[in-house]
Amino acid sequence: MSESQSERRSRSRGESENAREGETEAHTARETAADEGNRRGIRDNVLILPSVVCSHTVAEQIADAVEGCVATPHDNGCGQIGRDNDLTERTLIAMGAHPNVAGTVVVGLGCEHVQSDTVADALEDRGVPVRELSIQGVGGTEACIERGIEAAEELRAGESVETSDINLTDLTIGIVSTDLEDPTVETADPLVGEFADRVLAAGGRVVAAGTERVSAHPEDARERIDADLDELLAAARSGPARAPRVRRQVGERSFEAATRAWGDAPVDELLEYGESPRADTGLALVDSSSRFEEAATALVAAGAHLIVHVTGDGIPTGHPIAPVVKVSATERTLEAVGADIDVDARTASVDDLAEYVQSVANGTPCRAEVHGVTSFAIERAGPSM
Amino acid sequence: MDTFDGYRRPDGRIGIRNIVAVVPLSVAVSAVATRIAREGPERAHATPHQLSADAPDATLEQTRRVLEGVATNPNVAGAVLVELGTERVDGEGIADAVAAAGRPVEILSVRECGGTAAAVETGVELVDDLAAETADARRESADVSELVLGVECGGSDATSGLAANPSVGNACDRLVDAGGTATFSETPEFIGAEHILAERCADSEVREKLLAYVDRREATAELMGADLRGAQPSPGNQEGGLTTIEEKSLGAISKGGTTPVQDIVPYGSDLPVGGGLVLMDTPGYDIESVTGKVAGGAQLVIFTTGRGSTTGNPIAPVIKVCGNPQTWDRMASNMDVNASTIVTGDDLEDVGERIYETVLETASGRPTAAEVRGLREFAINELQPNELGYFDGEGDGETVGSEEVSRS
Amino acid sequence: MTESETGAEAETAASADTDTETEATGTRRPSVELDESDTVVTVLEDAEAGDVVTDSELEVTEAVPFGHKVALTAHDPGDEVRKYGEVIGVATEPIEPGEWVHTHNCDSARGKAEGRR
Repeated sequence: MSESQSERRSRSRGESENAREGETEAHTARETAADEGNRRGIRDNVLILPSVVCSHTVAEQIADAVEGCVATPHDNGCGQIGRDNDLTERTLIAMGAHPNVAGTVVVGLGCEHVQSDTVADALEDRGVPVRELSIQGVGGTEACIERGIEAAEELRAGESVETSDINLTDLTIGIVSTDLEDPTVETADPLVGEFADRVLAAGGRVVAAGTERVSAHPEDARERIDADLDELLAAARSGPARAPRVRRQVGERSFEAATRAWGDAPVDELLEYGESPRADTGLALVDSSSRFEEAATALVAAGAHLIVHVTGDGIPTGHPIAPVVKVSATERTLEAVGADIDVDARTASVDDLAEYVQSVANGTPCRAEVHGVTSFAIERAGPSM
Repeated sequence: MDTFDGYRRPDGRIGIRNIVAVVPLSVAVSAVATRIAREGPERAHATPHQLSADAPDATLEQTRRVLEGVATNPNVAGAVLVELGTERVDGEGIADAVAAAGRPVEILSVRECGGTAAAVETGVELVDDLAAETADARRESADVSELVLGVECGGSDATSGLAANPSVGNACDRLVDAGGTATFSETPEFIGAEHILAERCADSEVREKLLAYVDRREATAELMGADLRGAQPSPGNQEGGLTTIEEKSLGAISKGGTTPVQDIVPYGSDLPVGGGLVLMDTPGYDIESVTGKVAGGAQLVIFTTGRGSTTGNPIAPVIKVCGNPQTWDRMASNMDVNASTIVTGDDLEDVGERIYETVLETASGRPTAAEVRGLREFAINELQPNELGYFDGEGDGETVGSEEVSRS
Repeated sequence: MTESETGAEAETAASADTDTETEATGTRRPSVELDESDTVVTVLEDAEAGDVVTDSELEVTEAVPFGHKVALTAHDPGDEVRKYGEVIGVATEPIEPGEWVHTHNCDSARGKAEGRR
């Protein structure tokens, strides 16, 4: 039993077919995936996706070795139970299925809870070109890196996706604001909110993160959000806030002031962390705290092609899968780390922001991409076992 | 007496590696730390993690303790602490602790540098300087009683409890007999075997602490409304023949040997030198567990495996001891010691001695399989809000964050 | 674990290397019983139905992979399953001697969502 299972795990998907056929099939699948929901990617990287912390170094080494690859190293994937484990697995699958991803190499260790073949099977079902291997299945680190590089090169050879003439209508924009200092609430959030309204008016989609805003103002939130909030509110009561600083600041603001970055539209959907919206347009809220790195992953999982991040602190981090446009109105931050901020909300108009987002969507690297600083984190819903 | 050659630090501790640690205070600068270490000299190792600077107080305190422990581990010759500059984690305090341990330390603030690009550039200069400053450290002979050895098991199967763990336990007994410290942890993997450990506790106070830690870990299943079975044993454990957590635990505890349990300390807390067998309360999740012991001051980790775990650590060498003959055949390049010979009749004492010798050689500088391959997995256990609410009675957001929390 | 048992089992392992027909008397597969109170043994080679895994000629009734457990005694649902001389779980199904004991017929008594036993 153990032998056959490890063989199954170590097999590289599509290995039995000849390489040329494999490529053609991969390309077709990619277009099919992209056509569904009428969504195109704005980046075209092959994702090296570790299913567990134990294989993240190998994933990074594979990504470093092949042009056009990114890795999502993370701390999760084993020793998790219940909804915490489900959240991680769902999120990893969403990363691999993202429109900005040309194809995915899932790399596991072999004995972990979030199994690389489960993730790969789910991606295959969604029409994503995928290869899968595990360190234990292929017999060690060197073999895994070697086979992983081959798999990444195969996927690389299969893609060719046009990323020009992207308009707002083609986009899902993720929005997160990670503090509620005055310049953020008074200047940067309203600018981003106006942009969100424009995206929706153009027929695009907006997903926002920041659950503290709901839990601090449940009555106001119920009026704006067309979804059952009970579970979210119960979770918020179960312990201290995940992001206590933001939670405290939200409590000192009105709901309206705390949600200006979302624009004026009603919230049509409440998404679990790792889930994507059902609708092609409209505004959805993702159940994620305002911690940037975790919120960014939730927004990407919800299909965000690009994230607009309002930061008073000047958090510089990008995301491996989606470009992150940093917006700030905080003078000290713009003075200190102006080079890391894409848009100065003190002077930018909504036209400027829209134009900049459109140029990033069409291939101009954002600041975090220029600097090559991306971090990746997945929110936890419970303690490690 | 048994000896090894290590680096004597000004605080009297002895390191077995001479690492320049690049330690980010929050996830916001983990990528910057990684870049600095990558572009710096070989001895520069980063400890990137995904913990946020905006977190409940208890979570932040544990994060701070681990970061301080990592930065002051005896293997660290010098440290660069990387911060955005708005973190609530007290970087100055950690820097003071590193300085008090007699190691050179620098704080690199991304905000003060003027952004990430400038921070990477400055950071590389800092690690170059620290590497130069600590380059003339020379190994000197030290007594084995100065070793603090962390013991971990991961990717376990039925052979772990039959071969790898008992033979590592034999090596731990040798170290403890020689006056050193051996530490194992992974509290969920005490479940079902805690009565055996409890009988071995040095006194009733230690026994009560131990049982309370086990209770708390077991009650996590109630908190999550999901059976522990969801995570323990893992799919690989089960495929390898381990049916229940009790069975896994009974095999797991043998890796600490047979000497009395002198104490059990919280995650990432200081481990005593010359302390005998001391336990630490950690999750069974390997990478977080290893980090906890390294933060506690373990210079070296022995890691038993049946299925074939390959992971290392940025600060402490990790010796892989394999108990499964099939895994050894397939993955020998990732393994350091073959304990699977016990399955076919090799003597436990002989294998235990071989592991003990490997400990001394590794302590004196012989690189492990994970070191050779640059495998330096790192993660810090994060106390989760629902865990704090359930066990420690911490209330909801209404009552949290009344203090001033922002430095920006 | 007592080493002598491992050693003794290992000697029989050598004789088990030659594959014999499993019709009447199955191949002798090495195993280890860690304590005399144990209700299971651990096989140290993959075993097929009909293979013999103990000195008392216990025949396994189904395939049991390396490192997995075979029942020495009959278990009713709720009976303790013992290895290392300790309780490792309870039977969830009736288990006959020679049957494979694993997650399909043995469950932990600990770490339950609805609280401890």
